[in-house]
Amino acid sequence: MPVLEAHEISKQYKLGQHKVNALDGVNFQVEKGEFVAIMGPSGSGKSTLLHLLGGLDSPSSGNITLAEQSLAKLSERKSTLVRRHNVGFVFQFFNLLPTLTAEENILLPVIIDGKNPRKYAERLKDLLTLVGLNDRRTHKPDQLSGGEQQRVAIARALITEPAILLADEPTGNLDTKTGTAIMELLRRSCDEFHQTVIVVTHDPKAAAYANRITFLRDGNIVEELHPRKGEALAERLRSIMSTMERLEA
Amino acid sequence: MRLFRLLTLRSMRARSLRFLLSAFGIILGVAGMLSIQATNQTALDSILNLFQSTSGRAKLVMTSSSADQSGFSDNILIKMQSISGVLIADPLVIETTDLADKASSNQINISFFGASGGGLLLHGVVPTLETQTRGYKLTAGRFLSNDLKAREIVLVENYAKDEKIKLNDLIKIITPNGSKELKVVGLMARDGPGKTNNGSFGVIPLETAQGLFNRADEIDQVDIVPSNPNPSTAELAQLRAAVQQKIGDNYAVTYPSGQGERMTQMLQNYQIGLNFMSGIALFVGAFLIYNAFAMTVVERTREFGMLRTIGMTRRQVISQVLVEAGFLGIIGSALGVGLGIFLARGLTDLMSTMMNQELGAVIVSPSDITVSMSIGIGVTFLAALLPAIQAGRISPIEALRVRGKSKEGWLIQYGWILGIILLGGSIYLLIANPFPYDVQFRLGSLTVFGLFSGATLLIPVTVGVWEIISRPVIKLIYGSSGSLGSRNVQRSRLRTTLTVAALMVGVAMVIMVRGMTESFAADLRTWIQAYLGGDIYVTSTVRLRSDLQYRLKSVPGVYEVAPLRYFNVDWKTPAGEKETINFMAIDVAAYSHVTNFVFSGDQVDPKQALERLKAGRAVFVSTVLADRYNLAPGGTISLQTRRGYENFDIAGVVVDFYNQGLVVQGSWDDMQRYFDIRDANALLVKADSGVQASDVRNSIDSLYGVRYHLTLISNQAIRDQVFKLMDQAFRMFDVTALISIVVGSLGVINTLTMSVIERTREIGMLRAIGTTRGQIVKMVLAEAMLMGVIGGILGLATGIVLARILFIGMTTMSGYRMTFILPASGVITSLVIALVVSQLAAIAPARRAASVRILEAVHYE
Repeated sequence: MPVLEAHEISKQYKLGQHKVNALDGVNFQVEKGEFVAIMGPSGSGKSTLLHLLGGLDSPSSGNITLAEQSLAKLSERKSTLVRRHNVGFVFQFFNLLPTLTAEENILLPVIIDGKNPRKYAERLKDLLTLVGLNDRRTHKPDQLSGGEQQRVAIARALITEPAILLADEPTGNLDTKTGTAIMELLRRSCDEFHQTVIVVTHDPKAAAYANRITFLRDGNIVEELHPRKGEALAERLRSIMSTMERLEA
Repeated sequence: MRLFRLLTLRSMRARSLRFLLSAFGIILGVAGMLSIQATNQTALDSILNLFQSTSGRAKLVMTSSSADQSGFSDNILIKMQSISGVLIADPLVIETTDLADKASSNQINISFFGASGGGLLLHGVVPTLETQTRGYKLTAGRFLSNDLKAREIVLVENYAKDEKIKLNDLIKIITPNGSKELKVVGLMARDGPGKTNNGSFGVIPLETAQGLFNRADEIDQVDIVPSNPNPSTAELAQLRAAVQQKIGDNYAVTYPSGQGERMTQMLQNYQIGLNFMSGIALFVGAFLIYNAFAMTVVERTREFGMLRTIGMTRRQVISQVLVEAGFLGIIGSALGVGLGIFLARGLTDLMSTMMNQELGAVIVSPSDITVSMSIGIGVTFLAALLPAIQAGRISPIEALRVRGKSKEGWLIQYGWILGIILLGGSIYLLIANPFPYDVQFRLGSLTVFGLFSGATLLIPVTVGVWEIISRPVIKLIYGSSGSLGSRNVQRSRLRTTLTVAALMVGVAMVIMVRGMTESFAADLRTWIQAYLGGDIYVTSTVRLRSDLQYRLKSVPGVYEVAPLRYFNVDWKTPAGEKETINFMAIDVAAYSHVTNFVFSGDQVDPKQALERLKAGRAVFVSTVLADRYNLAPGGTISLQTRRGYENFDIAGVVVDFYNQGLVVQGSWDDMQRYFDIRDANALLVKADSGVQASDVRNSIDSLYGVRYHLTLISNQAIRDQVFKLMDQAFRMFDVTALISIVVGSLGVINTLTMSVIERTREIGMLRAIGTTRGQIVKMVLAEAMLMGVIGGILGLATGIVLARILFIGMTTMSGYRMTFILPASGVITSLVIALVVSQLAAIAPARRAASVRILEAVHYE
């Protein structure tokens, strides 16, 4: 049973007078514990797909099932609750609350849910160890480096043990070394916590951490890779991406 | 609770300055409301209490209804005692005098009821009746003996102490027959009847009073104690009618508290006007709060988007904002209550000075506190509701967007339609006046809100037009980088709108305050100049004889002496009702030499009008009376003279604020002929040109000061004192306006800082391709200048309209007809303020922009 399933989803936008097909009948499945990367050139529809999968937006047609619930039939409030309990988000620009400490930022989803954060002390400890911020827990975002902020964001996304973790260009705003550390962290969350992770990126190095890589172009899935362990994946991904970009041009 | 602590409280702490400034609106509104309510309550209670305690058990008061204000024969007492239901008829002789050996004073008390020289008020009483009517609390000695001819006096202890008089002392008082001695046999507490005349009060036996003051067999007042000690209102009315019928029309029977009617009426007028002003303060406060919250929501769009993404529901977001508003409302209102109580003290003091009446401790009832707190919190809540709903509508995708691309709401796109409707509606209400007077008055505050909101809604669609119009000027000042900057205002129209609106409110407040105060002050000044004409104001605690005019005129250096006499007179309104107004008698020729009347309008030639007044059987009416009863030159007014009602021609309409404007002026001859009054209240003395007023004052003082117990005071000193009081009252408004400007400037700082942060990358790019730091600074300053220009011009327009509304409020409050003055200084000042503030506020963001590091910036986001 897949934890996430998208069936024939399409999304159209109006851009002035024109209609743009951002997604065109996409079918997509993710099993529990999988690490999936979605790649594609700018405008291929990868961010749109991520928004739809996370219940941030609704498809023009088709259906998405997340944790055995169909998102299409849900009210705005219900889909918010589904998001709250089943989805963790990591953004390109971290999006931490500047007024809260690292620890408080991590516990924010629990607090929003009206639960007692003390009950999550154990989980918080594990996550702080995972992201390596045990000694920075009382720091505020402006006292943290970009990489540290993104690690706080990852811990925040994991605090509720969501069914899936969605990351939108998580390394896009970081230097290579820090970006690598972040991807390793996501990989470890998958390995150690059996966390399902979906990453949208156009960085082949980042995508190389995934078990499966899905390529989007013009709103369609054009290819899927299931790399074997130890394969020199990054080079291969880079060549696929440059081929796709040439085709775009 | 946790959410509140983590999100709401911290967000407020992060924006504490804005939080405090937006609270100011509410603080001022609530404080205004509460202090006005408390002051009026205190004043009303004190007056009521005064009349209750000074009238004792007397429930009715009988006085003469004839106009000459002389007393009446004490034979009437026999008639009254036979009326069933009357237990005691307590006669009084009322005289004002002073201690004979008291140094001549140069202090007078100025109040809304005129100027007075103080003095000692004496009641001639029948001790056996008086002690049954009023409860005197003696602190030393005894009450008056039963000998009605005894030369005894009982004084209020505080007065005695002030004048260094001890029990059993012999004191000398001034009488028409020279100074006479009385023995102080007792001292009374300053309580109950001891509160009369603010404690400058004493009682002497009735016949002693009649003898000393040439009032043989005459009395001034009879206090009536009914047989039933606690009569119902109906019973009392019945008794009043019975007494009135028995004694006839030459006497007036009234309720003791009726004497406080004039004060009560004044307080009520005052309250209407002040309530109107605190209403406006609250509305402006609401607008500032709306603005502050809207700005916060715009700033926190990304944050709310993120919270929505990780699972915060719309309702949770809305309640976040509303909880913040509630918190602001509670803090603002609580501080407002504190300030209100503090202000009430000051206002009570001011009121006490204006009425020349001591008032008790400030009464702030719990219900008043509750009501003003609830209004404050409610208004804050309402003002924050729209921004809260907008916050709830933020889509989670906002968090994922690159900054600065938020989509524009319908209010920005189509709000101008609503704006035009609101503006049109408000202006129509103001100009067309389609409603009755009192309804329109209440609508006034609504119009304020309509105007601000309407003008604000018009900003987004007109920003482009403003930019094009002002482009050449800005290019002239800041060069080509300036025009690049000014175009930026169109990028985030919502933010520009909120900033411009905040500036607009600030500028409008300055215009409003200046327009109102200057209009008001100008007319008051003109009147006070005329009212206190000449160089020296001469008055006395005893009656001034008419011939004093000629004696003073013969003093070297005196050019002219004009006597004045004020007295109450009944008149029949055009509707046939009987009302009491004030008659001010003047010696027309002398008065014209000393000062002049301020004629209203140009219907009459002043010279002719004065000739007409001098000819007799004619009066000038005040603008207040003319407006209220549609009186005009050529018409007549019916006054009760000693021969009954007689018609007087209206020779002119003049500006006169004395006695709330319920006043007519007539000639000295008419006063003697129709009202049989021969003495003066005061004399206005004008010195010869080139002669020092102080020298003349000294000459008069040495010649007549002691002999006639004169109080001499330089008119310049009085005028200065009055103008100082006036300026102090108006300064409070300047502070309010200043706060609005500060709030507006904070908006400019905010907006510019945010747009600089958003454009870091763009600024880096501009620097990379060769833009200098100076050019970047100019770019930001130009953007600020454009906002200053729009805010200034819109503020000017709304301010002028608002000043008019407030002016209507003020004139209604006072009942005075005045001319509206648009102060050129205010107009220029406010425009300059808007520009300067916008530039000052832009300095920090501009420096920030200039210090952007090129390499970091181009890598940013």
